[in-house]
Amino acid sequence: MTGPVYAADEAGTVRSVALDGLVALYHAPSGMTHIVAPPAPQILEALRDGPGDARAILERIAALYEIDDEAGAGSIEARLAELEAAGLVRRA
Amino acid sequence: MSEDTNSPGGALSNPTRRTVLALGAAAASTVVTIRPALAQTAGSVLNCEIPVPGPQAAGQHIAADGSLVSPGTPGAFAPPARPITGEEAKALLQRGMTPPGMDSQSAQAYANYIRRLQSGMSGFTCYASLQMPR
Repeated sequence: MTGPVYAADEAGTVRSVALDGLVALYHAPSGMTHIVAPPAPQILEALRDGPGDARAILERIAALYEIDDEAGAGSIEARLAELEAAGLVRRA
Repeated sequence: MSEDTNSPGGALSNPTRRTVLALGAAAASTVVTIRPALAQTAGSVLNCEIPVPGPQAAGQHIAADGSLVSPGTPGAFAPPARPITGEEAKALLQRGMTPPGMDSQSAQAYANYIRRLQSGMSGFTCYASLQMPR
């Protein structure tokens, strides 16, 4: 089973600044600023490689990080829903 | 500014260190949105309109990816006969609902055009205000 596939805007549309563990994102198309906590920045980073569902995103993140979680793709789904509500990702 | 400026995870990711990343509880929120003053217009936002394309590009057709192309380009769609209202744009972008009187394929091209709107383009303020979380 695969879940919904998500995509992020092109890299140039979002400016980011690291804030001591958090990341401030300025989303130019909407003019809005978001403060995001891990793993949201990592999810957005994973989507730079192209659209993916929660499982694909988890695999991309796991290639870079030790994942400390049992919920796995379920947690990614919840984060994707938040990022979608904020306008930072959309259904591909 | 580093070269990671445009990369949301860039400042945090370091493939060589294998940082431990806690995905967290499903219920824990990780996104806080700072609303610009534009958000105060939210009450009237659904009455705004997005011309597709804007007046500067009148006569252009809309390709499936939302880019503007010359009339007659294969696979491109003629502009809608009227502007898309904020309410219609919101339903189209968030739920894929085709505005009345338009066909679904054209509507998807229009949706992609709206997603590409940038500051200064006609309809941008309307689109930006649609992005405001409830």
